[in-house]
Amino acid sequence: MRLLSIELYKIFKRPRTYISFGIVTATALIFQLAMMSGGREFFKFGMQNITEQFDVQGSIINGYLVAYLILQSLLIQIPLLVALVAGDALAGEANMGTLRLVLTKPITRVQLVMIKFIASSVYTVALIVWLAVVALFLSLLIFGAGDMINLKSETFVMLLKDDVMWRYICAFGFACLAMTTIASLSLFLSAFADNSIGPIISTMGIVVVLTILSNLELPLFDAINPYLFTKHMIGWKGFFDNPVPYAAIGKSALVLVVYTVGFLGGTTFYFNKKDINS
Amino acid sequence: MRRFWLLVLALLFLQGSVYAYDAEQLYYKLRDKVLLVKDYTADVKMKVDITYMRIPMLQGKLYFKAPNKMRMERKGGISILPRKNVNLTLNNLIPNGKVTVIDAGIGTINGKAVRILKVIPEDEASGIVLSKIWIDETAMLALRTETTTQNEGTVIMDLEFGKFLKYSLPDKVTITMDVKEYKLPKGITMDYSEVTPSAAKDEKVKNKKGVIEIHYLSYAVNTGLSDAVFKGEEE
Repeated sequence: MRLLSIELYKIFKRPRTYISFGIVTATALIFQLAMMSGGREFFKFGMQNITEQFDVQGSIINGYLVAYLILQSLLIQIPLLVALVAGDALAGEANMGTLRLVLTKPITRVQLVMIKFIASSVYTVALIVWLAVVALFLSLLIFGAGDMINLKSETFVMLLKDDVMWRYICAFGFACLAMTTIASLSLFLSAFADNSIGPIISTMGIVVVLTILSNLELPLFDAINPYLFTKHMIGWKGFFDNPVPYAAIGKSALVLVVYTVGFLGGTTFYFNKKDINS
Repeated sequence: MRRFWLLVLALLFLQGSVYAYDAEQLYYKLRDKVLLVKDYTADVKMKVDITYMRIPMLQGKLYFKAPNKMRMERKGGISILPRKNVNLTLNNLIPNGKVTVIDAGIGTINGKAVRILKVIPEDEASGIVLSKIWIDETAMLALRTETTTQNEGTVIMDLEFGKFLKYSLPDKVTITMDVKEYKLPKGITMDYSEVTPSAAKDEKVKNKKGVIEIHYLSYAVNTGLSDAVFKGEEE
């Protein structure tokens, strides 16, 4: 517990940790400003197919919708922000030459990896909670609550105002799980490196490439697509469908847990054998 | 020969007595009755069953003002109504102005004998090409209309009367309409694609009819609704 609090102290003492919180805040504010000024026009474009045949009346641009759009746009950025800290966990120590010193303490290498992972996960959860504050609660404060429209590629979903908040709570919970997988991937890559740039960039590279593969949906990638963790990372969106596809979300959560355990296992296995010179 | 002419005369007389009105009279009588309702405010429940839409049962207030103003209010919520020509009002589906009425015989709707009329409006601007109306002659009520529009396909409206018969207003209206395909690029929506099995997708593509059911719970008729009521937020 003491080691964990030291790790957390190290993470939250660094000014660069707060860059992530700043980026999330700035992105949310920019989105909210954009939605205030031109949200209707933006949404009219997406609703063209619907408004040709139907009159949609009422306040479509509300806090719930704006929060959803912010979450969707942050899909790519949040893994980078998680990697900034998790990718630095082992490699940063190696780079500063403190890793050997840390390992002279009476803790096993497995314990050290686990503590680094838990500390990175705490940071990840804090980031998601902050995202919830600025994306959801601030949007609700600015735009108010209302029925939420979710435009999917082949479906138009409308959720009643009183039926949305629990979905956000579940979605943020799922996002924590997905981002913990990213943290474990970064930590895994961090074990191989002696400076943190490599693991951070590699994490982003992997996420970007796999996200593109997940979205391409070409027959060529059909066999591997269901196993890509990036495909399952967007499982939070399932909570905004009607009915909620619990089985699919459960399967996605399981895949993410398997990946997380796999990356952690790989990290401990490699780190246990690693010859630490710095 | 004299007997023959007597028989012809008797048949003509019988024909006249079977139909209380000729087709044109019947149509105008029905239209006059429908036009008696200048406005109404109704508490409604609305069920939208359109293949690509997943909308829960909507409850709200429906405002109507003749000839074609309509708005649904849901205490800050979003409401969805068919657009313009395919309006939910009977007034809008029964052509106004000069029309040509053709008698299309008799039929039954839910066991009730009805007269069927085909109505062709002369005013092309109305957007209606042809209306087919099933009329309960005794109660002077339209139980079904099938309206072919210029741009919105065919709209079938089934009306069920009960509690509000004294206003000649329906308890339940079922609208069956053609719906256009809905599609957005997956690159924009970034769907969580575990959700839709391919069989369901195929079914969606095939079924292009939409059904909207409106249950009227109460009416306030001809209260003199102001136009301001219809200047609500429109996206």
